[in-house]
This record gives sequence, C-alpha cells and structure tokens, in this order.
Amino acid sequence: MEDARLSRRALAAITVLRVVVGWHFLYEGIAKLTSPSWSAAGYLKQARGPFADLFRWLASQPNLLANADLITMWGLTLVGVFLMLGLFTRLASLAGIGLILLFYLCNPPLVGYFYSIPTEGSYLIVNKNLVELCALVVILVTGSGRFAGLDRLLHGVFARRPRLAAV
Amino acid sequence: MAGEEDNTKGPRKLDRRDMLMGLSTVPALGLFGYTWNKQRQHQQARAEAAAAPAAPADVQVINIALVGAGAQGQVLTDAMLRIPGLRFRAVCDIWTEYNQRRVVNTLKRYKHEPNAYEDYREMLDKEKELDAVLIATPDFWHERHTIDCLKAGKHVYCEKEMSNTLEGARNMVAAARETGKLLQIGHQRRSNPRYLHCYDKLLGEAKLLGRIVTVNGQWNRAVTPDLGAPDRYAIPAERLKKYGFKDMHQFRNWRWYKGLGGGPIVDLGSHQIDIYSWFLGANPSHVTASGGLLYYDPKNHEWYDTVMAVYDYETPQGPAKAYYQTQTTNGSQGYFENFMGDQGTLILSESELNYAGQLYRDPNAPAWDEWIQKGYISAPQVQEKPATGDSGAIADVRESVAPDRHTVPVALRDPYHQPHLQNFFDAVRGKAKLNCPSEVAYETAVAVLKVNEAIEAKTRLSFNAAEFKV
Repeated sequence: MEDARLSRRALAAITVLRVVVGWHFLYEGIAKLTSPSWSAAGYLKQARGPFADLFRWLASQPNLLANADLITMWGLTLVGVFLMLGLFTRLASLAGIGLILLFYLCNPPLVGYFYSIPTEGSYLIVNKNLVELCALVVILVTGSGRFAGLDRLLHGVFARRPRLAAV
Repeated sequence: MAGEEDNTKGPRKLDRRDMLMGLSTVPALGLFGYTWNKQRQHQQARAEAAAAPAAPADVQVINIALVGAGAQGQVLTDAMLRIPGLRFRAVCDIWTEYNQRRVVNTLKRYKHEPNAYEDYREMLDKEKELDAVLIATPDFWHERHTIDCLKAGKHVYCEKEMSNTLEGARNMVAAARETGKLLQIGHQRRSNPRYLHCYDKLLGEAKLLGRIVTVNGQWNRAVTPDLGAPDRYAIPAERLKKYGFKDMHQFRNWRWYKGLGGGPIVDLGSHQIDIYSWFLGANPSHVTASGGLLYYDPKNHEWYDTVMAVYDYETPQGPAKAYYQTQTTNGSQGYFENFMGDQGTLILSESELNYAGQLYRDPNAPAWDEWIQKGYISAPQVQEKPATGDSGAIADVRESVAPDRHTVPVALRDPYHQPHLQNFFDAVRGKAKLNCPSEVAYETAVAVLKVNEAIEAKTRLSFNAAEFKV
C-alpha cells in the first residue's frame, strides 16, 4: 500500500482520531471483561437483516458462543490498546474493522427497519458502527502509527520502508 | 523534514524527535487508566451502597452457607448481599468449574470468604459454625439436602418446590418438627409487602372484594431455548452420575425431566396457586386439568410445556372456582393473579412493572372512601369512557358499567426474594415467625403436584382435607 502524503496537521488530526477510537474499543473490551456475566448472546439473539439466522444460530451453540465472547472481549481490548499506542496500527485497524463489520452485519439499519440496535439514535444504512469502521479505514490507509506512535520506533529500527512524514 | 533524505535505505538511527513522536500517544493510555480507575471506584461505591449496610453492633451475625449456586442460587445471593448481619461461610455446588466459582467470586468482591465445596456432606462435616443453610438445588435433591442440614442442627431456607414428591415433602416437614429447627420454603410472595398489604388490609380488614367467587391467573413465558454449557466447563461424566444426572444437558435442563423437577406448572404455577389458597383461605377440593408437551422436543423434554387447570374451592365465604394456566411458547401478558369478588377485582403480580396492583370497584359496591382516606388504596382514576369513542363501537345495554379503577399503593423496591429471606433471618434471630413454614408449603405442594396427576388421569380428581396435613 502506498502511503499517502499528508500535511502535519492532517496527520495530527488522524492521530487524535486513532486515540479516541482506541479508547472506545478499550473501554468496550474492559467493560465486558470485568462484567461477571457478559455474553454476546443477547446482541446476537436480536440479530436482524440478511445474516440474522447465522448470528442467532451462533448464539445457540454454547461452544461457539463461548469463543465468540472471548474473541469479542479480548479483541476489543487489544485492538484498543494497540490503537492508542500506535503499535501494529495496521493489524489493529484491520482487526477492528473485522469486529465492527460483524457488529454492523448483526444489526444493519437497512431500509424498512424502523428501529435497530443500538437504539439510541435514528439510522438509515449508516450507523455509528459504520462511522467507526470508516474511521478505522482512514487509520489503516494512513498508517497513523508511523507518524505518532510506537510503530515509528519499530519502523525506525527494523523497517526498510519509508517512515511516513509530512511533506 | 528531517529523515526525508535517507528514508529508503535500511535501518537508521532514531533521533529525539522520533522518540517523542513515537511515545506521544502513550500518555493517552495513562489517562485512560486513570479514568477507568475512577469509574471502577464509582461503581464499587455504588454497589457497596446498594449492598448490605454495615450491621448495627447489636445485630447477631448469622453464619450461612449456600447449597446450589445456579441461577436461583445467584438470585438469592444477590438479595442476601443487601441484608445486614450475614456472613457467608461456604458455597456448595457440584459444578465446581463454573457456577461454584462464579458465586464464590461474587461473594469475595463483597469481602466474604466462603469455602467452596462439591459435596454438601463434606461441607456439613467441616463447617461447624454454620447457623443456617440456603438450598437452591434441583427439586429432587431438596429432601436429602434439607433433612441432612436440619439434622446437622442448621436452620434451612429451601427453594420451592419443596420436593418433587409428596413423600419427600412430608419427610421434610417431619424433620423440621423432630429437630425443632426452622424450615422456610421459598414461596417469596408470602413476604412481599404488596401481597401482605392486599391480604391483611384489602381482603382481611376492608374486605374490598366482597365474596371472591372466581380467580384466574397465568404465567405466560416466551419460547426459551435449552440451556447449554461450553465443553471446557463440562462436568465429568462420573460426577454427573454420582449426583443423579445422566448428562450435561439434563443437568442444565433438569426442570424438564420427570423424577428431577415438576415442569412449568410446578416451577411457575406453584408460586401463584400458593397465593390462590392463601387469599381464598382454603385448600382446593377438586382439580381438573389438561396439559401436554405440545411444542418442545420430546427427546429431551418430559414435562408438559402447557397446562390449564381449574380448581374448586370451598372457601369460608362459599364455593369458588380458580383457573390457572402456564404456557411456555408465548410471553405476552406475563404473569398475574386476578381475584374477582362480587364487589371488586384485584389484579396482582410479583412483576409490578407489568401489573401495578389494579383494583376495580364494582359500581354497586359500597363506597371505598374510607380506605382511600386511610391510604390503603389510591383515589380512583377517571372512569373509563363508554365505548362510543373513535372506534365507533356502541356499548350494548347489557354490558356492565365500567368500574372505578384504583391501585395498590404499596411497592417493593428490593429484589423479589429479599423480604422473604429477611423474614427467615429475623426468625433465626427469634424476632419473627416464618411466613412460609414447611407445613404451609406442603399444602401448596399437595395442590400443585395433583395437577400433573390429573393431566395423566384425564379426569377430575378430588382432595380430602386430611391430605393437606402431615
């Protein structure tokens, strides 16, 4: 992937975006990890849209569900930490996109669904999951960790690839 | 910018600027840690405020153990954590891999230090300081657990149904009498302040309903998939067998199996049929019932998922009939008990959210002003309009005039089981009488277990008064 050349201000703004998205992931993960009885089952059972059957089936399989719970809790937590630190930023962004894509597909606010989950706002096609997913795409393609983040040190030491720098 | 020139060639030295930029977002993680810690302190403080306030110095601390740490054991634990003067000494559950660990961890968070046991006999041998044991195991274990605990000198709070067999229930009553220890059965509505208010004040003192002639009630529950368990938490086969379960599925879903539980009529109905007899002041004389396994897979469900029963009562005021249904395929309209007298109606439910305790005064009944002034019931809401409004429907002359609508002004703002547990512990301290001693629960067990018999017999069965006595 060819790095975009961006102004320093643009890169700083993307760094802020990365940190707040990471913060959100981390807290979503930690809140689930520290809740004694959290499970994805409730969310999965509310599934709507074209993949609803698949998600409901997943909720009904105790073994798969236990794995889905673990992946969600730890996935969110680790993605959050890595995004905040700017470490393995691209990998973390990709993993985050994967997780959010699943959340989105489980409950997509498609045409004709007059309500969907989460229920705090009004959505048509685009909901906050999709917005966060797109934010992660921006973080992914700009390799923000190599501007301000531990990736910069990592790349400085190991990589032969160019560091991302402001023009 | 520095570094532009040589950035295509191999590793290079990091300068101060790289270090600063590389570490620049680390403080955000520190800030996260700080706010998260604040959030946890806030939650902890809130949990502690909601949990038991420190016991006053003069309250005698009761040492307790929980036997059976499943869903119901957790419900009881959550309620008991709000009651002052209790010390959890032990938790016993055969599912050491999961349930036992969960409840022990919950208790540790509230600064209890319970020992964990798989075998309740080992617990009784080792825990000499116990005053009382709470039993929330599957029904078919209640008899053994209760009798052994009573004989070990402990007071017992046992979940309903007190036993899956009447013989078992009788033995429990006998053991309580023999040992002189307290045995409370978990029909928790008996201690619910709303139910007590209705019984003592509205029916007892004010006699608002006049003569109750019919009763109906229901527990409608939506389709519920079987409970599962991840393989890595599975109980080894030999342990399951030792405790009377054929496999993990049966262990998790014992309520559906004959010989282990009693099916929905017992799990759900017994709470409400208990109220029928309590409020009517009589035990039933006959029962007719129909039921069946209409919906769930008979391979791993044995009990009836749908039951409809009609009881005949000879109450002190005259004959009455009481209908009850429980079904497990549609949850709408939930659960309630509806008492209909010649002067008024009372719809009551443990679930205040759905049925806030409505009272209807028949237009021909004496005025209720006195009871409104005393605060026993709310002032009437506006009379329902005659049905001629937007719908265009015209009330037929034969229809009764809409009655005044009142509400029961007593609310329970604690977990449903808390008052009943509190009553038990008050009794242990010698400060109260049990609201549901085993003799009372036995009468309910007789009335409820007979429904399953009537379904099987496909005929109307009668009770004789002696049946209800041990």
